Amino acid sequence: MNVDKIRKDFPILQKKDPVTYFDNACNTLRPTQVMNAMNEYYEEFPACVGRSHHKLSRLATEATNNARKTIQKFIGAKKTEEIIFTRNATEGINLIANTLSFNPQSIVLSHSKEHNSNHVPWLRLQEDGVIKHETYDWSSDVFNLGKFEELMSSKVSLVTMGHTTNLDGTTIPAKEVVRIAHDYGAKVLFDSAQSVPHHEVNVKKLGVDFLAFSAHKMMGPSGIGALYINEKNFTELDTFLLGGDTVSETTQDSYSLEKPPKRYEAGLQDYAGMIGFGAAADYLKRIGLKNVEKQEQLLNKHITEALIGKVEMIGPRDSLLRGGIFNFNIGGVDSHTVAGLLDSAANIAVRSGVHCQHTWFNKKGLDGSVRASTYVYNTIDEAERFVKEINKLIKLKK
Amino acid sequence: MICLLALIVFGFLGIFSLKYRVIALEALDCVFRRVTLRKCDTGLDQRLKSQITGNLMRRNPGVGRFMFKHFEVISWFFTILLVLSLAQSGLGIYNFVAYGNCNGKGSDEFCIFDPLSTRNNQDSSTQLLTQCTVEGVEANPENLIKPEIGASARFGNKDAKVTIIEFGCYTCPYTKQAEGVYEKIRNDFGDETLFIYKNYPINTHNNSYQAAIAAECVRIDKPSEFWAYHKALLENEGELTNNTIISLVEQTTSVDIDSFNLCFSEGHTENLVKKDIRAGEKSFIYGTPTLFINDEALVGPKTYREIKKIIELELKK
Repeated sequence: MNVDKIRKDFPILQKKDPVTYFDNACNTLRPTQVMNAMNEYYEEFPACVGRSHHKLSRLATEATNNARKTIQKFIGAKKTEEIIFTRNATEGINLIANTLSFNPQSIVLSHSKEHNSNHVPWLRLQEDGVIKHETYDWSSDVFNLGKFEELMSSKVSLVTMGHTTNLDGTTIPAKEVVRIAHDYGAKVLFDSAQSVPHHEVNVKKLGVDFLAFSAHKMMGPSGIGALYINEKNFTELDTFLLGGDTVSETTQDSYSLEKPPKRYEAGLQDYAGMIGFGAAADYLKRIGLKNVEKQEQLLNKHITEALIGKVEMIGPRDSLLRGGIFNFNIGGVDSHTVAGLLDSAANIAVRSGVHCQHTWFNKKGLDGSVRASTYVYNTIDEAERFVKEINKLIKLKK
Repeated sequence: MICLLALIVFGFLGIFSLKYRVIALEALDCVFRRVTLRKCDTGLDQRLKSQITGNLMRRNPGVGRFMFKHFEVISWFFTILLVLSLAQSGLGIYNFVAYGNCNGKGSDEFCIFDPLSTRNNQDSSTQLLTQCTVEGVEANPENLIKPEIGASARFGNKDAKVTIIEFGCYTCPYTKQAEGVYEKIRNDFGDETLFIYKNYPINTHNNSYQAAIAAECVRIDKPSEFWAYHKALLENEGELTNNTIISLVEQTTSVDIDSFNLCFSEGHTENLVKKDIRAGEKSFIYGTPTLFINDEALVGPKTYREIKKIIELELKK
């Protein structure tokens, strides 16, 4: 893999003194291919999909169908109907939370490093008395399947977990989690916002029931994401938003629902976003997710080895367990200050604060942390620059 | 402390730009929280600290580190400096509104609120002051004493509440410069004031004394035409010769030229000029023009606004 060649696809990286972008767990940069694909929709066929019978509409329908097919193949889904376009992973999770029917007092099980997106919807259901929300305490470096299974029972109706956490980049043993959950009759939903962009995810191999992810974390446009629903579960879900495109027939007093995915895609959709999403998946596929993973591991290894012991790390010390994420604190210096200094002094973009992981930080009594998250277009030179700047900031304390 | 500083700075900039108004509101929230002993949760303080320090570090790591370590102290320093500057500016604005001069009554210092004022032209004003200074008299406004009205040239109402007495010299460019303002004062305030002109020819100037005698000759003959001749003399301040003095009489007055020539050549009005000079000496005049508005003394040309303010204050008394 030629990183320099990849970087040429990103206009922002071609500027003089380009930013060292290490905030990829939040939002990734976009290649020209994605922007061109979106522009093509607006310039060539900016029409409604599946509604009108003119040429432009046919082109738009074909392009969005292709995008859906690309996404389907990207995650190894069996059918295109299993791919529901959403605004983002959060909306996908909320869709399941609002449409899956739960038995009274059934348990929904998550782990302790959940993003708010996969935490708050379940708290809300608990408040409403619909479910009981329980948490697997993931405090060890490696996810402990034994302890997880101890929490499983026939009362657990849904296991919903962050596949790879945005906190420290650790990944759950997804296949085993699905197997155990299914053994107890529970459905499984993965928040895969941080996994699909960074390593190969195959929903068929995993056997997962639902899987939500976002385009903006995989070089795609903002405001578009997808929810995979295993077709076996269509009958178990209620409707979410209703309106245009979700129904095949209406009378004054009744309506007939469309089949998925249309049933769950109410109103006029972000067609350019869908097409851009497809282009991003294509782009990543061409690079190869194994190469993406390898590059992230290489960079994280370099950073970790250079800074271990000098900063207060969050997560396992072994960089291989953390994908592309290096989360840390420089003792005594506020995380926002560190991020601001990196930005203004060295043009390095990182994330600071609690990363939508308020629960975890509150439990640990921490105000926040600095998160550097790499991606396939980041280089060893950038990692070295980052290390050099962090070393300078460490001296600020002295 | 940086939030307070940001509130003041961005509050001011926010008058002109919405972008800064948003930061000012953030700073206000931050200050309010700190005042109520809570943590500033907008992150503005950290953002400003890191931006300022980071930019310094890029240029000079040592300075950046110093700023980082002593940020709070430096913030305090600049806040105090800013508050003092604002207080000073406030005083300046008050002075400008109250006295028409941002440096206080009768000051000749630079005033930013009045950029067109002659006092702001330091080069020419220094030169003028040198040219119009009376030798051997200490330049101390504290010494100035209001003179008697006497029999000098006058304009306005003899019973007016406000008396304005000018000591001027016809060959002084400073007196010339001030005349436009004085003329407007005479016209605008009319019967509300009594305006007196006293001759104080600078002894180092040529023809200044002669011009004063000539002006008094015109006044003795045709008092109503004195001010027109007075103005004409000042307009020709740099070119006053005996011939000019005489020809200006012909051009600007209806005074009989023969009787004027007699008065002028024999110095019939010299005693009037000398009386004015003696009055000036008793008043410790050290430069022209010097203006007394009732007891308030102003040395050098002042703006119309400044003089008007003093007159209005005197009229209200």
